[in-house]
Amino acid sequence: MSQRKRSRGSGPSQADDGDEDFSLSPTLPRSQVQRNLERHSQDQVNQKVSELVQFLLVKDQKKIPIKRADILKKVIREYRDIYSEIVNQAGRTLQQVFGLQLVEMDTRQHIYILTSTIPRTEGENLRRDNQTAKLALLMVILSFIFMKGNSVKDGAVWEFLRRLRIQPGERHEVFGDVKKLVTEEFVRQKYLEITPIPLTDPPEFKYQWGPRAAKETSKMEVLRFVAKMQGKDPTYWVSQYNEAKTTR
Amino acid sequence: MSGSSSSDGVTSSSGNSRSERGRASLPSTSRNGAVPQRRLQELSPGSADRDMEETGAEDEQQQRLEGGEGDEQSRRIIRNQYRELIYSVQQNREDMLSSKSNRLTEALEEANKLFSGVSSAREAALDAQFLVLASNLGKEKANELHCEMTTFDSLVFAEDLLTFMGINRIEAEENDNDSESISGYLPSDAWHKLGEETEKYFRRAPSFHYMLGSFKSDPPVPRQRIERQKKTTGTEEKRAMPAQLKKMEESHQEATEKEVERILGLLQTHFQNDPSTPISFFDLVIDPNSFARTVENIFHVSFIIRDGFARIKLDDDKLPIIEPSEDNEEREDGHSAGARNQVVLSLNYKDWKEIVETFEITEPMISPPYHSNEDEMETD
Repeated sequence: MSQRKRSRGSGPSQADDGDEDFSLSPTLPRSQVQRNLERHSQDQVNQKVSELVQFLLVKDQKKIPIKRADILKKVIREYRDIYSEIVNQAGRTLQQVFGLQLVEMDTRQHIYILTSTIPRTEGENLRRDNQTAKLALLMVILSFIFMKGNSVKDGAVWEFLRRLRIQPGERHEVFGDVKKLVTEEFVRQKYLEITPIPLTDPPEFKYQWGPRAAKETSKMEVLRFVAKMQGKDPTYWVSQYNEAKTTR
Repeated sequence: MSGSSSSDGVTSSSGNSRSERGRASLPSTSRNGAVPQRRLQELSPGSADRDMEETGAEDEQQQRLEGGEGDEQSRRIIRNQYRELIYSVQQNREDMLSSKSNRLTEALEEANKLFSGVSSAREAALDAQFLVLASNLGKEKANELHCEMTTFDSLVFAEDLLTFMGINRIEAEENDNDSESISGYLPSDAWHKLGEETEKYFRRAPSFHYMLGSFKSDPPVPRQRIERQKKTTGTEEKRAMPAQLKKMEESHQEATEKEVERILGLLQTHFQNDPSTPISFFDLVIDPNSFARTVENIFHVSFIIRDGFARIKLDDDKLPIIEPSEDNEEREDGHSAGARNQVVLSLNYKDWKEIVETFEITEPMISPPYHSNEDEMETD
């Protein structure tokens, strides 16, 4: 008990070094959770569920995957024994009220993202911020990677972007520091995966889709985008089409 | 070079055939290892303690050198053949790249055959050159396997994207070969426009933002919000009355007083008309159309009672009634014996509804303030 108080007292903005407090996996068997559930009143449980829903919605603003450790430390706290039940209910609420899906992206690392289950309607953007433009850049990169065989060298990516008037060294009027956006932000959000190619000097990197990209869109969707841009049918690119069909 | 072989001269003849056999059985892939080894032999004659194969080759070379003209001729032929092979591979690159063609394999086999006649560095170097060429071609063929039918042309894709984004191609001349040329002008909402199209292909959860809040989305914020919400939901009920009233008091101090006076006037008028009949408290304050107005009325009436202009009593049915009082003594002296009482009245929405039904109140006795000029019995 005192341990938890200490971590709370040290401020909510503490970096995630509270992990050691919650390193014990809270995934208890369902029967155990059901028994624990009886120890709390329905109102209390509902309260926690609402808090978790709010927390997830706000945390998702930056599109950085949400860690289970954060959820435990900042929301669940002493209700750890019914963690899985709270998460399930929160997921249901998100689905029923907001049409959002809580996806556990990595079952080892236990990180969550929110995706939408309803298609976007036209003219929805009330907030004029950068998110839409950044999504365009991301889509361009993802489609380039996919059409070129799912793994591309960094040199090829940046050469392609140059054709779209994006210079990695210069400040872009829409994106600012593009290099940082692509290599840091997109990677942190798990849209892209950039890994160094071994035995290269100067070091080269390969760009691939990140797990979030696979969850929020699909190869088929990306192929459709490319096809639309080029005014062709998706089946025009036979091998990519076949690959897209068989993936998921 | 010639001196070292003397000790091995005995074995030379038998070694010859053995080494030939040995060479023939080597697969083409291991040639890379064999060639430098042979070259090493030629360069370092002192290392005579190799296996039979090596020494046999050296001897054979010896024999060849001793052979003279004929051997030089055959070597030249081999070199020519290699150069031809290399040339043909280079010229027929596209054909070799085609997945249907076996020509690369055929060329490799031919080179393998040629290699069996190779014994000196020059030819071996040509063989190595051919190998580099063939392996590069092989790698390209492997890459082609990825996008077998239609290769993706990223240049065209880039141009299509720019077109979609609404590029203004001002310059008429085209520098098509130089793809780096900046021709044309991208409008400022280019990327945004592309983004709107892109969103259709994504299942991205829209960002959740509070409309009235100016919060930055840092981790601490949700926590504070959660705590606050916990508190407010708990005390919402009791707070409703004072919260509203406080606001009124702060901003409309005088309005309150005016309101109280107005109600007092209402009351007194009523009492003048009918001095002996007290008014039911509920009849007075309850506004059947608005719970909020009811609460306001109770608030205003409480001032009247505090100031001693009226009294609340319980009648025979134990229901509260208001009756006028002589305010002279009570007002100045706040501590007259037994006269002052404090009461806390709680009324929630449900109760209010029940009272309206039970007492069959259809019209508010206290009219809403903005209609004060009209008939007091008017309803909204």
